[in-house]
Amino acid sequence: MPDTAPASEAARTLRTGPGRLLVAVYGVFALAATARGVYQLATGFDEAPAAYLLSVLAGVIYLVAAVGLARAGRTSRRVALVSCSVEMVGVLVVGAVSLLLPEVFPDDTVWSGFGSGYFFIPLVLPALGLWWILHVHRLDRD
Amino acid sequence: MVEWLTMTIQTASLAMAGWCLVSTFRDRPMLVPHLIGMGVLWLLVIGQAVATVVAMAGGERPAETAMFISYLATVVLLPPACAVWGFMERSKWGPAVIAFACLILPVLFVRLEQLWSPVA
Repeated sequence: MPDTAPASEAARTLRTGPGRLLVAVYGVFALAATARGVYQLATGFDEAPAAYLLSVLAGVIYLVAAVGLARAGRTSRRVALVSCSVEMVGVLVVGAVSLLLPEVFPDDTVWSGFGSGYFFIPLVLPALGLWWILHVHRLDRD
Repeated sequence: MVEWLTMTIQTASLAMAGWCLVSTFRDRPMLVPHLIGMGVLWLLVIGQAVATVVAMAGGERPAETAMFISYLATVVLLPPACAVWGFMERSKWGPAVIAFACLILPVLFVRLEQLWSPVA
């Protein structure tokens, strides 16, 4: 196994260093949100379809972000950037809506209350993701 | 589920998380002792999973069986997946991955126990 990658642009990827941890956290959240949403959709679609579909959607976005962060290349970096941005907007909007208009989502999602049911990790994660992507991007440019 | 095994796993997992956090803050990569520690933890989890599956085969089933099985599969797969992912990283972020995995493992076991024998 090669030790540290040479500092060429092609070799520098998002998955090394702190990115390693980010991918792990994203992977777990992809699993958690998707499994939760699918299970809830399967057992009680009529109760809160919007909340359950949102959980599945969040899970898919986490999965896309995890893959984007884990893979090398310009395209996957863009994929990671977009999915982290969508997440950031998602957690802020859904968090605000869940507090101001609770009747929209009768059941909780990963993003309800800004991710309060998940130790606020859903709020911190996209911020860290965006920071990391921009950080690596800046290293490449210099 | 074997209750004392769950408590052992949770304690061992938190100890492992503490150890890996120390390694992270001391700027050490993940080494073979970490890997052995994860192996031991994984064996404990597998032991619990086997005991639980045997109990389920004997007719003891939680109400939300599908949910329970998906959680059980997650706790079995999480330690090896994170150990491999962390070991591939030759920097302090390797043990950080393991610390994260070992912090959520006890939480997952709390959920498992809740599903196995609901209090309400």
